[in-house]
Amino acid sequence: MLRDKFVILVICITYRGDMELIFGLFAGLASGSVFALLGAGLVIAYRGSGVINFAHGSVAAYAAFTWDELRDMPGETGIGNEGGSIYLPWFDPIPEWGFLKALHINNLPVEIHIMTDPPAWLAMIITLAMSAFIGLLMHFLVFRPLRNSPMLAKVVGSVGIMLYLQAVALLNFGGSNRADDGFWVFNSTSEPIENFLGMDDKNLPRSTPYLALAAILIGALAWALYRYTRFGLATRAADENEKGATLLGYSPQFLAGLNWVISSVLAGLAGVIFLHKTMPNQLNLYVVSALAAALVGGLTSIPGAIVGGLGLGAFASMGVSATSYSWWPEWLPVDGVRAFAPVLVVILVLYFRGHKLPIRGTVGLGRQPRAPATKHPMIGVGVGVFIALLMSNIFISKWESTLTMTLVAILAMLSLVVLLGFLGQISLVQWTLAGVSSFVLIRLASDGLKVRPMDFFVVWGPGLPDPLAALGGVVAAVILGLLIGIPALRIRGVQLAVVTLAAIVAIEDLVMRNRPLMGTAAHTMNPTPKPEWFGQYVGALDEQSNQTDYWKYTVFSIIVVALAGIFVVNLRRGVIGRRFLAIRSNERAAAAAGVNVARTKMLGFGVSSFLAGLAGMLIAYKMPMVTSEFFSPFVGLAMIAFVYLGGITTVWGAVLGGMLVGGGLFSEFGGLHFEGITQAYINAVGGIGLIANAILTSGEGISLTLTNQAKALIATMRGTTPKTDEQEELVVAEEANV
Amino acid sequence: MSKLLETNGLTVTFGGLNANDNVDIGIEKGSFVGLIGPNGAGKTTFIDAITGFVPTSAGSVVFDGHDLSDLKPHQRAQLGLVRTFQSLELFEDLSVKDNLLVAAHQTTWYTLALDVFRIQQKSEEIEERIDWALEVAGLKGLEEELPTDLPHGQRKLVGVARALAAQPNLVLLDEPAAGLDTAESNALGGHLRGLLDHDVTVFLIDHDMGLVLSVCDFIYVMDFGKIIASGTPEEIRSNSEVIAAYLGEEAGEVQARSAEELRGMSDTAGE
Ligand SMILES: Nc1ncnc2c1ncn2[C@@H]1O[C@H](COP(=O)(O)OP(=O)(O)OP(=O)(O)O)[C@@H](O)[C@H]1O
Ligand SMILES: [Mg+2]
Repeated sequence: MLRDKFVILVICITYRGDMELIFGLFAGLASGSVFALLGAGLVIAYRGSGVINFAHGSVAAYAAFTWDELRDMPGETGIGNEGGSIYLPWFDPIPEWGFLKALHINNLPVEIHIMTDPPAWLAMIITLAMSAFIGLLMHFLVFRPLRNSPMLAKVVGSVGIMLYLQAVALLNFGGSNRADDGFWVFNSTSEPIENFLGMDDKNLPRSTPYLALAAILIGALAWALYRYTRFGLATRAADENEKGATLLGYSPQFLAGLNWVISSVLAGLAGVIFLHKTMPNQLNLYVVSALAAALVGGLTSIPGAIVGGLGLGAFASMGVSATSYSWWPEWLPVDGVRAFAPVLVVILVLYFRGHKLPIRGTVGLGRQPRAPATKHPMIGVGVGVFIALLMSNIFISKWESTLTMTLVAILAMLSLVVLLGFLGQISLVQWTLAGVSSFVLIRLASDGLKVRPMDFFVVWGPGLPDPLAALGGVVAAVILGLLIGIPALRIRGVQLAVVTLAAIVAIEDLVMRNRPLMGTAAHTMNPTPKPEWFGQYVGALDEQSNQTDYWKYTVFSIIVVALAGIFVVNLRRGVIGRRFLAIRSNERAAAAAGVNVARTKMLGFGVSSFLAGLAGMLIAYKMPMVTSEFFSPFVGLAMIAFVYLGGITTVWGAVLGGMLVGGGLFSEFGGLHFEGITQAYINAVGGIGLIANAILTSGEGISLTLTNQAKALIATMRGTTPKTDEQEELVVAEEANV
Repeated sequence: MSKLLETNGLTVTFGGLNANDNVDIGIEKGSFVGLIGPNGAGKTTFIDAITGFVPTSAGSVVFDGHDLSDLKPHQRAQLGLVRTFQSLELFEDLSVKDNLLVAAHQTTWYTLALDVFRIQQKSEEIEERIDWALEVAGLKGLEEELPTDLPHGQRKLVGVARALAAQPNLVLLDEPAAGLDTAESNALGGHLRGLLDHDVTVFLIDHDMGLVLSVCDFIYVMDFGKIIASGTPEEIRSNSEVIAAYLGEEAGEVQARSAEELRGMSDTAGE
């Protein structure tokens, strides 16, 4: 459908010489150049160490923040300082807690003041040095330790960095500060090129041609570096065979480190020269388009990535221009088109060229995390429900909201346990599906009347009674989940992670914030109609007293989550769960054993999306209104981080992860007693935890590790507890040996 | 007797190379057929082709009256055409028993519901079959082990047991004895012969000539993707073309050669 539209676009250009689109093409070269530079950096990192770095955009963002902070004029609003400072890429992990606060213990140096109002060239050097430093940290702390781990662990590691850097930037720089002074032409105040190409009233920003030129020039330089120098030759040799590099006199790990530095410096450069056109934190998700560009270059060609990036920018921008035509369908919003362009490229490249890309298949080194079946789920569920009820309004009121947030997170994480843990499909999109379910539910339940006096918007809709509306939401999530599962039939591993990351952005702009589709309020605060199940009000907002935390919602959530938990436990213990694990382990072997791999995978995507959809329903019922920010990609990535930390392969892992996540029991408890435990803090810790978990427990997570420790402990205790004389003698003999 | 599996002009091409070239093979129901040939002859490719793991460029495969050309690997397995892999391909993070259970269960559209409500699915019949498969492969008592904790030879046997658990009509074994010593190999041969009594037809690839010559009723010899000879063990032993292409010496001597040497040969093949 959309592809047809783009074919029409191309025809328009060739036959009608359409100026609007041609202008769109040129204007798109600006963002295209950033995609190109970031894409080239991804290629370099990939060739250096075989990792697809999901955090690449976040490196650019951190650099942009650094530049921005350095150039912040005295007196302007920076966070807590007057500009001219750098913030090292970490945060003080011990906030000023309790008595520590009185002691003024400064735990870790974070801020370093350089000078007030540094000149542009110095700021540039410092910023690029910061990028290089981040590159080195990534190499030594994450990817080097993970070099012999399965692909999944590397993906998880880079997602952890992405989450971490984004959160640390938030902690150190605040959310949205932006000084708006780039340098030279890369400045939003520089005069535009008027009447571009003789087009009346078309003004092209002066920076655009320079950006494109910069991308091409830097790309050419990087290409020459890898083509003609000894270092480049060694990298290419190491790419194929680590011994080759050693023969040329380089250690493969040195090469990898240097490539990380080059890749990160390119990211930093891209961030700085593009800063005048965006907010630094937006750069985080530029990684999606950069991935598309890198994929056009087959993940190995720098010129390919440059061409791909520029092309993608132009393509997306022409798509955006096309939305101004009268024939453009209203239900395809501008942002959606822009976000969908990279998805289209990613899917097309992976689908048609996936087999030619250097990475394919899931076969990696190391073993997948174990997924033991829960033997006595009823005991666990009983205890869990009991504790939940204790914490609910019925007994102590202030924990209610935290409790239900934890329950929602547990439910969302159960969906991840099924898909990532059991089936081994690295999908990053499930949380977004929860959002779709929420939005569709609201749309279906709305009847065009104002729900509450405080609402700004009125949403039109069929006004379905509630279990039906919820069903509609869940079904929408399942359908979308299955659609996303289709590529998973052909591509797997990291490539699926790439597709689903792209899908997150596309769904957010194309589906959730789509006003014709989701109603007038979709892009802001979407009011939730009052939910009633079979005559019982189950929303969290008590409409009479206008207070939140209505106990029936809590009970409702406890029931839903408990049932979902039992569902997942039984799934794992049953025939299908075993087949999921078989597919995770070896698809060829599963097919040979008579397993219909395609259908079973689809079943997994369906089940997981069903659970995510239920989580979306609980969220809609929890809030008087729902915004798409609540389903932002970073909340979703945090969910993944924490369920990995808890244990991606077990229901207990989801329970633990749900308690750890921001807004969950642990973080709220922490926030209550200590200052500085913010959402960003939690996410940063989550990012670290994700990485540490990938390195230290080979991804098994806290719950399994603890269980193992406990079992080992019990075993030793039993072993040393003499039962018979014979055993005692054995123990004594063994001790004597030691 | 009726043919259970029949290939006609089966050809598989990799690049320019014909890994299987016009292969005609027939396997009679209830027989024990062997396929031998030097390394790289195309034996594994042949199994891959009939089980749907590599595309064929020409020829047809008929199994139990079904033309297999449009069927996916799992559909062929469900028809009872089950294979093992030379390169193990086990479910490494599932226990031995779970490896077998994956193959043993049939699913329908409502299996998920049965799972969720914990409705037992034909458990007795399946337990019996798994017991039997473990028995044949000599893996009794190792049900709860992870394949990665077993020695190479036994891991191969997990593959055999898993194939048997899938209720095969014809089982295609790709070097199941690689990594076993002569005694274990002979024991396996005996167990495999026993499969014929359970209505399982066997197709065996192995480099252990002692095993192949002693258990098979009929043997095909492949070299450079072509079938160069076929016949009973006695005929193969005295076939001069086979001796030239594969055995490289008097067939009788081969059989007499020390088991150690033979094992060395199959070990390198298994890598
Ligand atoms: N996927 C493939 N792509 C290209 N060539 C292949 C592929 N698989 C096998 N070949 C080639 O086809 C030929 C036959 O290989 P095959 O594995 O079938 O031999 P084999 O008889 O099983 O050998 P062995 O006794 O060592 O197991 C070999 O030359 C091999 O290199
Ligand atoms: Mg072989």
